[in-house]
Amino acid sequence: MKKIGWIMLAAFMFTTWMTPGYAAKTSPYRIGVNLELTGPWAEVTKTLKNAMMLEVERINKAGGIQGRPLELIFEDNGFEVGRAAANMTKFTRDKEILLVVGPFEDNLQATTRAIAEREKITNIIICPSNPMVRDLKQQWAFNIAQSDIIVSQKLVDLVLARKYKKVMVFHGAWPLAQSLAEYFKQFGEEKGIKVIVSPETHKPTDIDMTPQLTKIKPVLEKEKVDAFYACTGGPPGPMITKNLRALGIKTPVLGTHAFGFGFIIALGGEAMEGVEFPSAKPVVFDQLDENDPAKPININFDKRWRERYGTPSDQIAGYGYDTIGLIEDALKRIKGKVTRSSFREAFENTKGFKGTHGIYQFSSTGHDGLSKKDMVFVRIEGGKFKRIQFPGFD
Amino acid sequence: MVDQAQKEFRTRDLLYSIALWFLSWLIPDPQLHYRREYKFKKRDLFYLSAVLVFPLIWPDPHIHHLMVLAGIHGILALGLTLFLGYAGQISLGQAAFFGVGAYTTAVLTTRYGLPSFLAFWASAIMAAIFALLIGKPLLKLKGYFLALATLGFGEIFLVLVRENASLTGGVIGIFNIPFFSFAGFTFDTYLKQYYLIWGVLTGLVLFSKNLVRSKMGRACLAVASSEEGASALGIDVAWIKLGVFTVGAAFAGLAGSLFASVMSTANPETFSLNLSVLIVMMVVLGGMGNLYGPIAGAIFLTVLIDRLSRYQEYSLPLYGVILILLLIFFPDGIGTRLRVRLIYLISYFGRKKRREKVNL
Amino acid sequence: MEAFISSTLFFLTNDPDEETIQLKTMELFAPLPQLFTSGITFGAIYALVGLGFVTIAKASQMINFAQGEFVMLGGMLTFFLFKEIQLPYLLSAFLTIPLVMLIGCLLHLLVIYPLRKASLPILLMATLGASLFLSSASALLFGTLPKALPPFINRPPIDIGPISISLQSLWVVGATCLVLLFLYLLSHRTLLGKAMEASSTDPLGADLSGISRHLMIFIAFGVSAGMGSLAGIFITPIFYVSYHSGTLIGLKGFIAAILGGWGKHSGAILGGFVLGVVESLSVAFMPSGYKDAIAFVVLLLILYLKPKGILGSPFIDSRRW
Repeated sequence: MKKIGWIMLAAFMFTTWMTPGYAAKTSPYRIGVNLELTGPWAEVTKTLKNAMMLEVERINKAGGIQGRPLELIFEDNGFEVGRAAANMTKFTRDKEILLVVGPFEDNLQATTRAIAEREKITNIIICPSNPMVRDLKQQWAFNIAQSDIIVSQKLVDLVLARKYKKVMVFHGAWPLAQSLAEYFKQFGEEKGIKVIVSPETHKPTDIDMTPQLTKIKPVLEKEKVDAFYACTGGPPGPMITKNLRALGIKTPVLGTHAFGFGFIIALGGEAMEGVEFPSAKPVVFDQLDENDPAKPININFDKRWRERYGTPSDQIAGYGYDTIGLIEDALKRIKGKVTRSSFREAFENTKGFKGTHGIYQFSSTGHDGLSKKDMVFVRIEGGKFKRIQFPGFD
Repeated sequence: MVDQAQKEFRTRDLLYSIALWFLSWLIPDPQLHYRREYKFKKRDLFYLSAVLVFPLIWPDPHIHHLMVLAGIHGILALGLTLFLGYAGQISLGQAAFFGVGAYTTAVLTTRYGLPSFLAFWASAIMAAIFALLIGKPLLKLKGYFLALATLGFGEIFLVLVRENASLTGGVIGIFNIPFFSFAGFTFDTYLKQYYLIWGVLTGLVLFSKNLVRSKMGRACLAVASSEEGASALGIDVAWIKLGVFTVGAAFAGLAGSLFASVMSTANPETFSLNLSVLIVMMVVLGGMGNLYGPIAGAIFLTVLIDRLSRYQEYSLPLYGVILILLLIFFPDGIGTRLRVRLIYLISYFGRKKRREKVNL
Repeated sequence: MEAFISSTLFFLTNDPDEETIQLKTMELFAPLPQLFTSGITFGAIYALVGLGFVTIAKASQMINFAQGEFVMLGGMLTFFLFKEIQLPYLLSAFLTIPLVMLIGCLLHLLVIYPLRKASLPILLMATLGASLFLSSASALLFGTLPKALPPFINRPPIDIGPISISLQSLWVVGATCLVLLFLYLLSHRTLLGKAMEASSTDPLGADLSGISRHLMIFIAFGVSAGMGSLAGIFITPIFYVSYHSGTLIGLKGFIAAILGGWGKHSGAILGGFVLGVVESLSVAFMPSGYKDAIAFVVLLLILYLKPKGILGSPFIDSRRW
C-alpha cells in the first residue's frame, strides 16, 4: 500500500506539471489563439501572430477597453486535428477566455467549430474556404477573410472585363483550391464564359508542374483558350507560371487572391509578369482611391508595422489588425456584463467596421464579414503589384 | 541483460543500493513480469482503478480530451507492439489501417446510416481484411525493407483516399460523423468518451495478455529471436507474422473508428506518415516487449506534445531533440529498466574509471 | 499482391470526374518526348540523392532517413549565404558543401555514434527524429517561406523540335556524372574507399585488419552529406527549396537506390533515371494525382518481385535487409 501512496504522489506531481500555469487573474480580457505555428503555414501564422500582438500592445498602451487590457494566449496546434481540438478544449475550459481565434487550415476548422458550437464560445476564423463546413450553419463561428465565393465572383468580373471567352482552370488538390475552382465554374457559366476544369491537379508539395502542364498543353492549343487560371496558393502558383512559360505557352495567367505576397514574385521571377488576380486591398493599399476608408488605415498600420518589424506589412498582417479591431469594437459595444454569449451577440451585430481589408458587416445570417466590394484587381508589372481598374467593374 | 545488470548492482556501492531501494517503491519495473510467475496482480488492479478514478478526481475537460487522444494512441501502440515488440517486425504503415478504420466508420455512419456500434466492428474487420491482403506479399521482407514497404503502402493508401472523392470525400474528407452510441446511450462528452476508449483499451489489453501467453504469443517470441530456429521447431513463420500483423491492424481499425466518432471528421491529412512514425516512437519509447510500456509511451508522448504547444514555433525542434535524447539515454524505453538507467545516470561520474566494465 | 493490384485498378477505373477532357490516342503520345526530358531531370536528382544513401550503406549497412534534409540544407544555406550575407554565388555554393558536411559529421557524432549498439527500430526512429529536428530547426532559422535561387547561367531554354530543355537540367545531369566519377575513384582507387567498403561487408574482418569502423562511418556521413548538399545546390534554381521539401526527395532517392540495386553506385544512378522517367511518363496515362503513388507502387513491385534490384545487390543476404 505504501507503494501505491508513492505512485499517487508521483501522479500528483505529474498532474501539477500538466496543469497550465495561467489561472485566476480577473482583470484582462483573454483571447485564445489556436494557430499552426509549426508546419507548412508557419510563416503566415507568424505574421498573423505579430500583427495581433502589435495591435494588442497598442490597445493596452492606450488604457485597454474600459480599463481592462487584452491578453493573447497562444497555442501551437502543429497542423494536426487532434492537437487543434485539444487546444480548443483547453481554451473553452478556461472560463476567463472570451473567444478563440484560429485555426488557419480548414480541415482543422471543422472540428474546432464543432467544439465551439458545443461549448458555446466564439470562434473567429481567418481563412474560410470549405463549403461543407460553411453549410453547417454554425452560430458561434465567424469568418474574417474573403470567402471563396466573393473571390470567384470578383475573378469572373475580371474575366468579363478582359473579354476572355474560354478559361482553363488548373486547380490544386486541396479544399480551398477545389472550392475556388467549383465556384468559378458555377459563376462563370452563369455569365456565359466557357470554363474548362482540368482533370489534372497538383499538390502543395509538387515542386515541378511540367508533367501536368505538358498534358494540358495540347488542350490549350486545340481549344484556343484565352486565359489560364492557376487556381492555387503558395509556392505552386509561381511554379505553374514558370513552367508554363518554360514550355512556351504564352496564354495570360490569372491567379487567386493568394498571389498577393512578395515571395510569390521572388519565386517566379520574370515569369510572373502580367499575371492578374483579384486581390485584397492591403496588397496595393497605396494605390487605392483617395476616398477609400481602407487607405489611411493601411498607411497608418504599415508605418507602425515597419517601425516594429522592419518589413512591409502584407494582407495577412491586415487580417491580424482587423481581427483585434473587430474584437475591440465588439467589446466596446457591450453594455453590461461581458460574457461569452454577450460577446457573440455584439460581434454578430458588427456593422460597418472599417479595417485594412475593407468594411465588415456581420448579421445573424451572414457570418462572412467582407463582400465583393472589398477586393480590387491587381496585375504584376516590373516585379511590383499594380492596381488595374476597369470602368463598370469596381 | 537484466540479470547481468542485477549482478552488477550487488557489487556496487551501498549508496546506490539505497537509492535503488527508494526508487523501487516509486517506479514499478515492468521487466519483473519475467521473473515472477504471472498472475493477476495488485499492480493490474491498481492500473485499472487509476484509469477508472482518474477523470473523477481531476474533472478537467481538456485533460479528459487529452486522455481520450492518449487512449486512441494507446490502442494503436498496443496493436503495433504485438507486431514490433513481440514478433520483432517493423511497420511504418499503421496509420493506413487507422485510416481504413476511420473511413469505414465515416462512410457507414454518414452514407448508410448504420449504427456506430456496428460500424465500430466493421472497421476492425475492414482493417483486418486490408492487412491480410497486404500482409501476404509484404511480410516476406524484413528489417529496413519491410519498414519501407509498409511506408509505401501508407502513402499509396493516402493517394487512393485523396483521389476517390466519391467514396471518401477526397481532400475535403467527411464531416459530421455521429458520436459513438450504443443502445440509446450517446458518448457525447469527453468524460463519457474517456470511459468508452479506456474501456476498449482495457479489453484489448486483456485480449493481448491472453494472446502473448498463448501458443501464438510464444511462437511470436520464437520468430522474433530467430526465424530459422522457429521454423525448425515447426512454427509456420509466415502465418504467425501475418496473424500478428492482422491483429495489430484490427486494433488500429478500432482506434480509427473511435477517432472518427470522437473528432467527428475524417480527412487524409490525419493518416500521414507522421502518425505512423509517432506510433512507432510510442512503442519504442514505451519499451518493446511488454504491454503496459506502449500505453505509457502513448500517454507520455501525447502529453509531451500538448505541453510543447505552448512553446509555439520552438515546439517542433524541441520535440526532435527530446526524442533523440530519450532514444540515446533510454534505448529500451522510458518504463523499462528505468531504475537501472537512473542509477546509471546518478552514478555516471562516480564510476568513470570502471565504466568500460559495466556492460549496460 | 495480385489482390492489391486488382483493388488499385478497381479504384483507378472508378474515376468520379465527370468533366474529363477526352484526349485522342495521337494527342496522348504527343507530350511524351517533353515528359521524357523532364523525367531525365528528375532522374538525375533522384540519382544524386540515392548515391548519398548508398555511400552510407556501403560503410555501415544502415539507412539515414535524414539524407533528404541534407538536400534541403544545401539549398537553404546557399540561399542564406547568397541573399542574406551577400557573398558571391559561386563562393556561397562552395562554402555550403563543407558546412553541410560538418552537419552530417555532427549528426553521426551526436546521434548515430551513441546508438551504435542499438537495434534497428531505434536507429530508424533516431534518424527520423534527426530529420524532424533538422527540418524544423531550419524552418526556425531561415523561415518557412519557399526560396528560389537564380539559375547558374541565365539563358532561355533550348528548343529541340517539340522539346524544350532548360540549361539547369543539363547542369544537374552533369553533376550526377561528376559525383559518380568521384565515388567510383573513391571506392575503387583509394585505400579509404576500400576500407569503408570493408567495414560494411565484414565488420569483424575490418576490425581485425585495423580499420576503425566508426571513423569510416563518420567519413561516410560527411561524404554523403556533401553529396546531398550538392544535389540541393543544383536543384534549387530549377524548383525551389523550403524547409519540408527534403523528406519526399529523400524517400524517392532511397527508392531509386533500391530499384537500381541496393548498395551499388551504378544501381543508384540507373534506378534514379528509371524512377524519374517512369514517374514523369505515368502522368500521360493517368490523372496526375496518382503521380506520388507511382514511386511507391514501383517500390512495392521491386521489393516483392526482385528485391536485389535491377543490377543486383552486393549485400542483400545480410540479416538487416
